Amino acid sequence: MARDRAKACELDQEKYDADENVKIICLGDSAVGKSKLMERFLMDGFQPQQLSTYALTLYKHTATVDGRTVLVDFWDTAGQERFQSMHASYYHKAHACIMVFDVQRKVTYKNLSTWYTELREFRPEIPCIVVANKIDADVKVTQKSFNFAKKFSLPLYFVSAADGTNVVKLFNDAIRLAVSYKHNSRDFMDEVLQELENFELEQKEDDGPGQGQQEGTKSLAAS
Amino acid sequence: MMCTAKKCGIRFQPPAIILIYDGEVKGKSRQRIMPVRNFSKFSDCNRAAEQLKNNPRHKSYLEQVSLRQLEKLFCFLRGYLQGQSLTETMEQIQQERTIDPEEDLNKLDDKELAKRKSIMDELFEKNQKKKDDPNFVYDIEVEFPEDEQLQSCGWDTESADEF
Repeated sequence: MARDRAKACELDQEKYDADENVKIICLGDSAVGKSKLMERFLMDGFQPQQLSTYALTLYKHTATVDGRTVLVDFWDTAGQERFQSMHASYYHKAHACIMVFDVQRKVTYKNLSTWYTELREFRPEIPCIVVANKIDADVKVTQKSFNFAKKFSLPLYFVSAADGTNVVKLFNDAIRLAVSYKHNSRDFMDEVLQELENFELEQKEDDGPGQGQQEGTKSLAAS
Repeated sequence: MMCTAKKCGIRFQPPAIILIYDGEVKGKSRQRIMPVRNFSKFSDCNRAAEQLKNNPRHKSYLEQVSLRQLEKLFCFLRGYLQGQSLTETMEQIQQERTIDPEEDLNKLDDKELAKRKSIMDELFEKNQKKKDDPNFVYDIEVEFPEDEQLQSCGWDTESADEF
Protein backbone atom coordinates (compact mmCIF):
# COMPACT_ATOMS: atom_id res chain seq x y z
CA MET A 1 0.00 0.00 0.00
CA ALA A 2 2.71 2.45 1.02
CA ARG A 3 4.59 1.35 -2.05
CA ASP A 4 1.64 2.12 -4.32
CA ARG A 5 1.30 5.50 -2.76
CA ALA A 6 4.91 6.41 -3.37
CA LYS A 7 4.61 5.24 -6.94
CA ALA A 8 1.55 7.33 -7.71
CA CYS A 9 3.33 10.39 -6.39
CA GLU A 10 5.79 10.01 -9.22
CA LEU A 11 3.10 11.30 -11.56
CA ASP A 12 5.42 14.24 -11.99
CA GLN A 13 4.05 16.18 -9.11
CA GLU A 14 7.41 17.83 -8.58
CA LYS A 15 6.43 20.51 -11.05
CA TYR A 16 3.86 21.85 -8.60
CA ASP A 17 6.76 23.22 -6.60
CA ALA A 18 7.69 25.50 -9.47
CA ASP A 19 6.60 29.08 -9.01
CA GLU A 20 4.24 29.33 -11.95
CA ASN A 21 2.45 25.99 -11.45
CA VAL A 22 -0.61 25.42 -9.33
CA LYS A 23 -2.72 22.35 -8.75
CA ILE A 24 -6.44 22.63 -8.06
CA ILE A 25 -8.46 19.56 -7.16
CA CYS A 26 -12.19 18.90 -7.54
CA LEU A 27 -14.07 16.86 -4.98
CA GLY A 28 -17.65 15.70 -4.64
CA ASP A 29 -20.01 12.82 -5.27
CA SER A 30 -20.74 11.10 -8.57
CA ALA A 31 -22.83 13.09 -11.02
CA VAL A 32 -22.75 16.42 -9.19
CA GLY A 33 -21.37 17.99 -12.37
CA LYS A 34 -17.65 18.34 -11.69
CA SER A 35 -16.58 17.61 -15.25
CA LYS A 36 -19.40 19.67 -16.71
CA LEU A 37 -18.21 22.67 -14.68
CA MET A 38 -14.67 22.17 -15.95
CA GLU A 39 -15.87 21.97 -19.51
CA ARG A 40 -18.03 25.07 -19.17
CA PHE A 41 -15.08 27.04 -17.85
CA LEU A 42 -12.56 25.85 -20.41
CA MET A 43 -15.03 25.71 -23.34
CA ASP A 44 -13.23 24.61 -26.49
CA GLY A 45 -9.92 25.13 -24.82
CA PHE A 46 -10.24 21.99 -22.81
CA GLN A 47 -7.97 19.10 -23.57
CA PRO A 48 -8.51 16.63 -20.79
CA GLN A 49 -5.83 14.07 -20.25
CA GLN A 50 -7.14 10.73 -19.06
CA LEU A 51 -4.82 8.97 -16.68
CA SER A 52 -6.72 5.77 -16.24
CA THR A 53 -4.03 4.12 -14.16
CA TYR A 54 -4.70 6.75 -11.55
CA ALA A 55 -8.42 7.12 -12.31
CA LEU A 56 -8.18 10.81 -12.81
CA THR A 57 -8.67 13.42 -15.52
CA LEU A 58 -6.30 16.34 -15.87
CA TYR A 59 -7.33 19.63 -17.42
CA LYS A 60 -4.58 22.07 -18.25
CA HIS A 61 -5.21 25.77 -18.34
CA THR A 62 -3.11 28.91 -18.63
CA ALA A 63 -4.27 31.90 -16.63
CA THR A 64 -2.96 35.37 -15.91
CA VAL A 65 -2.99 36.56 -12.34
CA ASP A 66 -1.76 40.09 -11.62
CA GLY A 67 0.07 40.16 -14.91
CA ARG A 68 1.83 36.86 -14.34
CA THR A 69 1.28 33.68 -16.25
CA VAL A 70 0.07 30.78 -14.18
CA LEU A 71 -0.06 27.20 -15.39
CA VAL A 72 -3.03 25.53 -13.77
CA ASP A 73 -3.67 21.81 -13.57
CA PHE A 74 -7.22 20.95 -12.61
CA TRP A 75 -7.61 17.47 -11.23
CA ASP A 76 -10.93 15.76 -11.74
CA THR A 77 -11.90 12.46 -10.18
CA ALA A 78 -12.84 10.25 -13.18
CA GLY A 79 -15.06 7.99 -11.12
CA GLN A 80 -12.62 7.53 -8.23
CA GLU A 81 -15.21 9.16 -5.96
CA ARG A 82 -17.17 5.94 -6.13
CA PHE A 83 -14.83 4.55 -3.51
CA GLN A 84 -15.94 7.40 -1.24
CA SER A 85 -12.29 8.26 -0.85
CA MET A 86 -9.48 9.50 -3.04
CA HIS A 87 -5.97 8.21 -3.42
CA ALA A 88 -3.51 10.15 -1.29
CA SER A 89 -1.66 11.35 -4.37
CA TYR A 90 -4.79 13.16 -5.46
CA TYR A 91 -4.34 15.59 -2.59
CA HIS A 92 -0.57 15.75 -2.81
CA LYS A 93 0.70 19.32 -3.32
CA ALA A 94 -2.77 20.68 -4.13
CA HIS A 95 -3.07 24.46 -3.71
CA ALA A 96 -6.82 24.81 -3.69
CA CYS A 97 -9.93 22.67 -3.70
CA ILE A 98 -13.31 23.03 -5.40
CA MET A 99 -15.89 20.94 -3.55
CA VAL A 100 -19.16 20.40 -5.41
CA PHE A 101 -22.64 19.24 -4.47
CA ASP A 102 -25.89 18.99 -6.43
CA VAL A 103 -28.66 21.25 -5.07
CA GLN A 104 -31.20 18.69 -6.18
CA ARG A 105 -29.75 15.82 -4.16
CA LYS A 106 -29.48 16.04 -0.42
CA VAL A 107 -27.13 13.06 -0.18
CA THR A 108 -24.45 14.92 -2.14
CA TYR A 109 -24.66 17.76 0.37
CA LYS A 110 -24.48 15.40 3.32
CA ASN A 111 -21.41 13.71 1.86
CA LEU A 112 -19.54 17.01 1.82
CA SER A 113 -18.47 16.38 5.38
CA THR A 114 -16.77 13.12 4.39
CA TRP A 115 -14.95 14.83 1.54
CA TYR A 116 -13.98 17.74 3.72
CA THR A 117 -12.62 15.52 6.48
CA GLU A 118 -10.47 13.64 4.00
CA LEU A 119 -9.27 16.86 2.39
CA ARG A 120 -8.19 18.29 5.73
CA GLU A 121 -6.40 15.11 6.64
CA PHE A 122 -4.04 15.67 3.74
CA ARG A 123 -4.23 19.40 3.20
CA PRO A 124 -5.07 21.15 6.44
CA GLU A 125 -4.68 24.70 5.18
CA ILE A 126 -5.46 25.03 1.48
CA PRO A 127 -8.33 27.26 0.39
CA CYS A 128 -11.54 25.39 -0.33
CA ILE A 129 -14.64 26.65 -2.13
CA VAL A 130 -18.02 24.98 -1.67
CA VAL A 131 -20.04 24.89 -4.87
CA ALA A 132 -23.81 24.49 -5.09
CA ASN A 133 -24.29 23.34 -8.68
CA LYS A 134 -27.38 22.97 -10.90
CA ILE A 135 -29.18 26.09 -9.66
CA ASP A 136 -30.81 26.26 -13.10
CA ALA A 137 -32.98 23.35 -11.99
CA ASP A 138 -34.40 25.35 -9.11
CA VAL A 139 -33.25 28.91 -8.70
CA LYS A 140 -35.05 29.23 -5.35
CA VAL A 141 -32.22 27.38 -3.61
CA THR A 142 -30.15 30.53 -3.90
CA GLN A 143 -32.44 32.05 -1.27
CA LYS A 144 -31.53 29.36 1.19
CA SER A 145 -28.78 28.98 3.71
CA PHE A 146 -26.43 26.01 3.70
CA ASN A 147 -24.78 25.70 7.06
CA PHE A 148 -21.96 23.45 5.98
CA ALA A 149 -20.09 26.31 4.34
CA LYS A 150 -20.79 28.63 7.25
CA LYS A 151 -19.68 26.11 9.85
CA PHE A 152 -16.22 25.81 8.33
CA SER A 153 -16.11 29.46 7.16
CA LEU A 154 -15.85 28.43 3.54
CA PRO A 155 -17.06 30.54 0.63
CA LEU A 156 -20.20 29.17 -1.03
CA TYR A 157 -20.86 29.73 -4.73
CA PHE A 158 -24.19 29.18 -6.43
CA VAL A 159 -23.46 28.05 -9.97
CA SER A 160 -24.93 26.34 -13.01
CA ALA A 161 -22.76 24.45 -15.46
CA ALA A 162 -25.73 24.43 -17.84
CA ASP A 163 -26.47 28.15 -18.14
CA GLY A 164 -23.03 29.27 -16.99
CA THR A 165 -24.02 31.28 -13.91
CA ASN A 166 -20.90 32.10 -11.84
CA VAL A 167 -18.81 29.32 -13.39
CA VAL A 168 -16.05 31.55 -14.73
CA LYS A 169 -15.98 33.56 -11.52
CA LEU A 170 -15.69 30.36 -9.49
CA PHE A 171 -12.66 29.11 -11.39
CA ASN A 172 -10.94 32.46 -11.60
CA ASP A 173 -11.36 32.94 -7.87
CA ALA A 174 -10.10 29.42 -7.22
CA ILE A 175 -6.99 30.13 -9.30
CA ARG A 176 -6.39 33.37 -7.39
CA LEU A 177 -6.77 31.59 -4.07
CA ALA A 178 -4.40 28.84 -5.17
CA VAL A 179 -1.76 31.33 -6.27
CA SER A 180 -2.04 33.37 -3.13
CA TYR A 181 -1.92 30.26 -0.95
CA LYS A 182 1.19 29.17 -2.75
CA HIS A 183 2.97 32.47 -2.27
CA ASN A 184 1.87 33.30 1.23
CA SER A 185 1.50 29.91 2.77
CA ARG A 186 2.77 29.75 6.28
CA ASP A 187 1.71 26.19 6.44
CA PHE A 188 4.02 24.81 9.08
CA MET A 189 3.99 21.25 7.80
CA ASP A 190 4.65 22.45 4.25
CA GLU A 191 7.74 24.26 5.39
CA VAL A 192 9.02 21.45 7.52
CA LEU A 193 8.61 19.00 4.69
CA GLN A 194 10.23 21.35 2.26
CA GLU A 195 13.24 21.56 4.56
CA LEU A 196 13.24 17.83 5.03
CA GLU A 197 13.07 17.20 1.30
CA ASN A 198 15.98 19.54 0.60
CA PHE A 199 17.94 17.94 3.35
CA GLU A 200 17.32 14.45 2.05
CA LEU A 201 18.12 15.43 -1.49
CA GLU A 202 21.44 16.78 -0.36
CA GLN A 203 22.27 13.57 1.40
CA LYS A 204 21.26 11.20 -1.34
CA GLU A 205 18.17 9.81 -2.99
CA ASP A 206 16.67 7.46 -0.54
CA ASP A 207 13.52 5.44 -0.92
CA GLY A 208 12.81 5.29 2.77
CA PRO A 209 9.30 5.92 3.99
CA GLY A 210 8.39 9.58 4.34
CA GLN A 211 10.57 10.72 1.50
CA GLY A 212 8.60 12.69 -1.03
CA GLN A 213 5.52 12.28 1.08
CA GLN A 214 3.09 15.03 1.67
CA GLU A 215 2.37 16.96 4.80
CA GLY A 216 -0.24 14.37 5.65
CA THR A 217 2.51 12.05 6.83
CA LYS A 218 1.39 12.28 10.38
CA SER A 219 -2.15 11.23 9.67
CA LEU A 220 -0.99 8.66 7.19
CA ALA A 221 1.13 7.02 9.79
CA ALA A 222 -1.82 7.02 12.09
CA SER A 223 -4.20 5.49 9.58
CA MET B 1 -31.98 13.51 -49.12
CA MET B 2 -33.13 16.74 -47.51
CA CYS B 3 -35.76 16.20 -44.87
CA THR B 4 -36.84 18.45 -42.04
CA ALA B 5 -38.74 16.59 -39.35
CA LYS B 6 -41.78 18.45 -38.06
CA LYS B 7 -43.62 16.02 -35.84
CA CYS B 8 -43.31 12.43 -34.89
CA GLY B 9 -46.00 10.35 -33.25
CA ILE B 10 -47.42 6.86 -32.91
CA ARG B 11 -50.55 5.15 -34.18
CA PHE B 12 -51.79 2.25 -32.10
CA GLN B 13 -54.01 0.41 -34.59
CA PRO B 14 -52.39 -0.87 -36.72
CA PRO B 15 -49.18 0.14 -34.93
CA ALA B 16 -46.95 2.57 -36.79
CA ILE B 17 -44.60 5.45 -36.13
CA ILE B 18 -45.70 8.44 -38.18
CA LEU B 19 -43.43 11.27 -39.20
CA ILE B 20 -44.56 14.60 -40.59
CA TYR B 21 -41.72 16.29 -42.44
CA ASP B 22 -40.83 18.87 -45.04
CA GLY B 23 -39.36 17.28 -48.11
CA GLU B 24 -37.33 18.71 -50.95
CA VAL B 25 -40.22 20.81 -52.22
CA LYS B 26 -40.36 23.80 -49.92
CA GLY B 27 -43.53 24.43 -47.93
CA LYS B 28 -44.99 21.05 -48.68
CA SER B 29 -45.45 18.73 -45.72
CA ARG B 30 -45.28 15.03 -46.23
CA GLN B 31 -46.17 12.10 -44.07
CA ARG B 32 -44.23 8.89 -43.66
CA ILE B 33 -45.83 5.87 -42.07
CA MET B 34 -43.40 3.36 -40.62
CA PRO B 35 -45.20 0.19 -39.58
CA VAL B 36 -44.17 -1.34 -36.25
CA ARG B 37 -43.70 -5.07 -36.56
CA ASN B 38 -42.98 -7.77 -34.02
CA PHE B 39 -43.71 -5.57 -31.06
CA SER B 40 -45.57 -6.94 -28.05
CA LYS B 41 -46.37 -5.79 -24.56
CA PHE B 42 -43.17 -7.54 -23.45
CA SER B 43 -40.87 -5.78 -25.91
CA ASP B 44 -37.95 -3.57 -24.99
CA CYS B 45 -38.79 0.00 -26.01
CA ASN B 46 -35.22 1.19 -26.17
CA ARG B 47 -34.27 -1.65 -28.46
CA ALA B 48 -37.28 -1.14 -30.68
CA ALA B 49 -36.39 2.54 -30.97
CA GLU B 50 -32.80 1.73 -31.88
CA GLN B 51 -33.89 -0.78 -34.50
CA LEU B 52 -36.23 1.68 -36.14
CA LYS B 53 -33.66 4.45 -36.09
CA ASN B 54 -31.13 2.20 -37.78
CA ASN B 55 -33.58 0.70 -40.25
CA PRO B 56 -32.02 1.29 -43.68
CA ARG B 57 -35.34 2.36 -45.18
CA HIS B 58 -36.22 4.88 -42.50
CA LYS B 59 -32.81 5.94 -41.22
CA SER B 60 -32.42 9.12 -43.24
CA TYR B 61 -35.90 10.32 -42.33
CA LEU B 62 -35.37 9.82 -38.63
CA GLU B 63 -32.04 11.58 -38.36
CA GLN B 64 -33.56 14.56 -36.56
CA VAL B 65 -35.79 12.50 -34.30
CA SER B 66 -34.05 11.64 -31.06
CA LEU B 67 -33.74 8.08 -29.86
CA ARG B 68 -35.29 9.21 -26.61
CA GLN B 69 -38.43 10.44 -28.36
CA LEU B 70 -38.83 7.23 -30.32
CA GLU B 71 -38.33 5.22 -27.15
CA LYS B 72 -41.06 7.22 -25.47
CA LEU B 73 -43.44 6.56 -28.37
CA PHE B 74 -42.80 2.84 -28.10
CA CYS B 75 -43.52 3.09 -24.37
CA PHE B 76 -46.92 4.54 -25.20
CA LEU B 77 -47.59 1.65 -27.54
CA ARG B 78 -46.49 -0.89 -24.96
CA GLY B 79 -48.70 0.74 -22.34
CA TYR B 80 -51.61 0.52 -24.77
CA LEU B 81 -50.91 -3.17 -25.41
CA GLN B 82 -50.85 -3.74 -21.66
CA GLY B 83 -54.26 -2.15 -21.39
CA GLN B 84 -53.07 0.95 -19.50
CA SER B 85 -54.67 4.33 -19.94
CA LEU B 86 -52.65 7.09 -21.54
CA THR B 87 -52.37 8.91 -18.23
CA GLU B 88 -51.08 5.82 -16.49
CA THR B 89 -48.42 5.30 -19.14
CA MET B 90 -47.43 8.94 -18.95
CA GLU B 91 -47.02 8.74 -15.20
CA GLN B 92 -44.97 5.60 -15.58
CA ILE B 93 -42.65 7.22 -18.11
CA GLN B 94 -42.32 10.24 -15.87
CA GLN B 95 -41.37 8.10 -12.92
CA GLU B 96 -38.77 6.15 -14.80
CA ARG B 97 -37.15 9.37 -15.85
CA THR B 98 -37.00 10.92 -12.40
CA ILE B 99 -34.05 10.89 -10.06
CA ASP B 100 -34.59 9.77 -6.52
CA PRO B 101 -32.96 12.60 -4.58
CA GLU B 102 -32.12 10.30 -1.68
CA GLU B 103 -30.28 7.74 -3.76
CA ASP B 104 -26.51 7.59 -3.27
CA LEU B 105 -25.17 7.43 -6.81
CA ASN B 106 -21.68 6.61 -5.54
CA LYS B 107 -22.97 3.13 -4.86
CA LEU B 108 -24.23 2.34 -8.36
CA ASP B 109 -22.44 0.34 -11.03
CA ASP B 110 -21.37 1.95 -14.30
CA LYS B 111 -24.52 1.06 -16.19
CA GLU B 112 -26.94 2.32 -13.58
CA LEU B 113 -24.90 5.46 -13.02
CA ALA B 114 -24.88 6.15 -16.76
CA LYS B 115 -28.66 5.80 -16.78
CA ARG B 116 -29.07 8.37 -14.02
CA LYS B 117 -26.62 10.67 -15.73
CA SER B 118 -28.59 10.49 -18.97
CA ILE B 119 -31.73 11.49 -17.08
CA MET B 120 -29.92 14.46 -15.57
CA ASP B 121 -28.43 15.34 -18.94
CA GLU B 122 -31.91 15.90 -20.29
CA LEU B 123 -32.45 18.83 -17.96
CA PHE B 124 -28.88 19.98 -18.48
CA GLU B 125 -29.36 20.11 -22.23
CA LYS B 126 -32.69 21.84 -21.86
CA ASN B 127 -31.16 24.61 -19.75
CA GLN B 128 -27.82 24.70 -21.49
CA LYS B 129 -26.65 27.93 -23.06
CA LYS B 130 -24.33 26.87 -25.83
CA LYS B 131 -21.41 28.75 -27.24
CA ASP B 132 -23.13 29.22 -30.60
CA ASP B 133 -26.36 30.58 -29.11
CA PRO B 134 -26.74 34.17 -30.30
CA ASN B 135 -27.00 35.58 -26.76
CA PHE B 136 -24.27 33.45 -25.26
CA VAL B 137 -22.17 35.15 -22.59
CA TYR B 138 -19.04 33.41 -21.36
CA ASP B 139 -18.70 35.06 -17.98
CA ILE B 140 -22.05 35.42 -16.22
CA GLU B 141 -21.84 36.69 -12.68
CA VAL B 142 -24.93 36.79 -10.53
CA GLU B 143 -24.86 37.91 -6.92
CA PHE B 144 -27.14 36.13 -4.55
CA PRO B 145 -27.54 38.37 -1.51
CA GLU B 146 -26.56 36.76 1.71
CA ASP B 147 -28.67 38.30 4.42
CA GLU B 148 -30.15 37.09 7.65
CA GLN B 149 -33.51 36.49 6.03
CA LEU B 150 -32.33 33.33 4.33
CA GLN B 151 -34.45 30.28 4.83
CA SER B 152 -32.68 27.11 5.87
CA CYS B 153 -32.16 24.57 3.09
CA GLY B 154 -33.76 21.99 5.33
CA TRP B 155 -30.83 19.64 4.90
CA ASP B 156 -28.98 20.76 7.99
CA THR B 157 -29.65 19.03 11.26
CA GLU B 158 -30.30 21.03 14.39
CA SER B 159 -27.61 19.46 16.52
CA ALA B 160 -24.45 21.49 16.97
CA ASP B 161 -22.18 18.62 16.03
CA GLU B 162 -23.53 18.15 12.58
CA PHE B 163 -24.16 20.72 9.94
